[in-house]
Amino acid sequence: MTDDRPALTAFQLADSFLPVGGYSSSYALEQFVQTDRVESATDLVEVLTAYLRGQVGPAELVALRAAHRATEAGDVDALVRADRRLHAVTLPAEFRESATRSGARLCDLRRQTTEGELLQAYASREPPQQYPAVLGAVTAVDGVPERQACLVHTYSFCSDMLGAAQRLLSLGHTDAQAALEELKPVVSEAVTESADLRLESMAPFAPLVEIQAAAHERADRRLFVS
Amino acid sequence: MAADAPHPAFSEYAGESVPQAAPGTAGKDGRLALVFARSDGETRLVRDFARAPFHVSGSLCHTDRTATVYVQSPSGGVAQGDRREVSVTVGPEAHAHVTTGSATKVFSMAHNYAESDVSLSVAPGGHLDYVPEPLILHPDARFYQSTTVDVAPGGSAVVGELVVPGRLARGEAFEFERYYTRTRLRSEGRLLVADDTHIRPGEADPQVPGVLGSDRVFGHLYVVAPTAEEAGLSDAVHRAVADGPATAGATRLPNDAGLLVRATGETADLVRKQLRAGWTVARQQLVGAEAPDRRK
Repeated sequence: MTDDRPALTAFQLADSFLPVGGYSSSYALEQFVQTDRVESATDLVEVLTAYLRGQVGPAELVALRAAHRATEAGDVDALVRADRRLHAVTLPAEFRESATRSGARLCDLRRQTTEGELLQAYASREPPQQYPAVLGAVTAVDGVPERQACLVHTYSFCSDMLGAAQRLLSLGHTDAQAALEELKPVVSEAVTESADLRLESMAPFAPLVEIQAAAHERADRRLFVS
Repeated sequence: MAADAPHPAFSEYAGESVPQAAPGTAGKDGRLALVFARSDGETRLVRDFARAPFHVSGSLCHTDRTATVYVQSPSGGVAQGDRREVSVTVGPEAHAHVTTGSATKVFSMAHNYAESDVSLSVAPGGHLDYVPEPLILHPDARFYQSTTVDVAPGGSAVVGELVVPGRLARGEAFEFERYYTRTRLRSEGRLLVADDTHIRPGEADPQVPGVLGSDRVFGHLYVVAPTAEEAGLSDAVHRAVADGPATAGATRLPNDAGLLVRATGETADLVRKQLRAGWTVARQQLVGAEAPDRRK
């Protein structure tokens, strides 16, 4: 009999139905819209490309892969190390806070719904619980392969950001789907390139995203927590 | 693969011989070690070892009791095969400001690469401002830079950098081959922040939305203050840097390390001015005096 569990877990984790609060974060996209830096679907795809190439690929996916491998090896120390490292390279404060909020929810959820000794041991070490690290652990526990786990994370990131964009811009469902279509090759490329990077040399680079995140921290009126 | 490459991306270059003087030989193997200590209520430069191409001519004392050192270089810039090592140690209660007399040019390279390793350490109650003049990356330059900052609880440091991607006035920008900068902020040996930047303009254009947009010059200021309870410092610095012709913002660093100011802009002067505004606010809060005046 085919084991469908890994594939079903992948769908479950990529679904916006997953209650980890992805809908409440915009990772500074709100600020890009507020300051008229993103006004159209074209601008949106350009900025999301910068997120994928500059932040998700060279940092989050590298940590996710390390967390996945650590979990497969049953190595809690290495899992905590991947999580702490991602936290130490994520410089905008709101990005760390959003990733911790979602990561802690996913960790709690899995500890309640599946028997995960490793996740228990991990949580007891008071790690920062950055979402990509927790996702790497959860996918490994359920047998989702590493590359697929990366695709799940990157896809969810895009779909959450497009969901935020629909609320911030007058972006229709068809436009959002077209944007997702355009981003597919960028997603694949980011996932492929992340395989060559080590945890010790994660190199995110998106200064304008970081500066918008800094401005968002102090924004008077905001719909999103980041 | 040559064993001494600092990063895999540089291993191919490391195997290339340099036609003139070999990498790391006399004149290409700069060493600078500065040690500041406080005695009789003054900060003194108690050790200044400088091997070519570094040159130091003593320290100047400012009115706020900060010892300033201008690091000079008679070589005009950083060439292929150059290896540089800088270490600055600030003792308990000492206040030091280390800068360069002029911009550091990283010249065009056809062979090998250039590397600079900077280690900064600050003892309890000490303060260091390490804010060199801009780094200018000429066409085909390959530059690797590593900066490690270890600040003891109760100490603080402001570490700045400004990168100019070419001789902008002659219309040259982003023609360098590779720029990699690696920053580690620690306190008592524990890693608080890791920040690596790897720019290869030939492979990925940095002048795209979300990265540099239409800006060319980029810079940062780390305000490292591991135990200072400066909840409001990040906000105050942000207010000082947020408005102006350059784009800038401040955010709290992970592990209560302090804060980061990132800035991008059209010219070095615009970015420098805004970074300096943030530096002054941070310094006033940390040591009660504004950013040192630079007479160069």
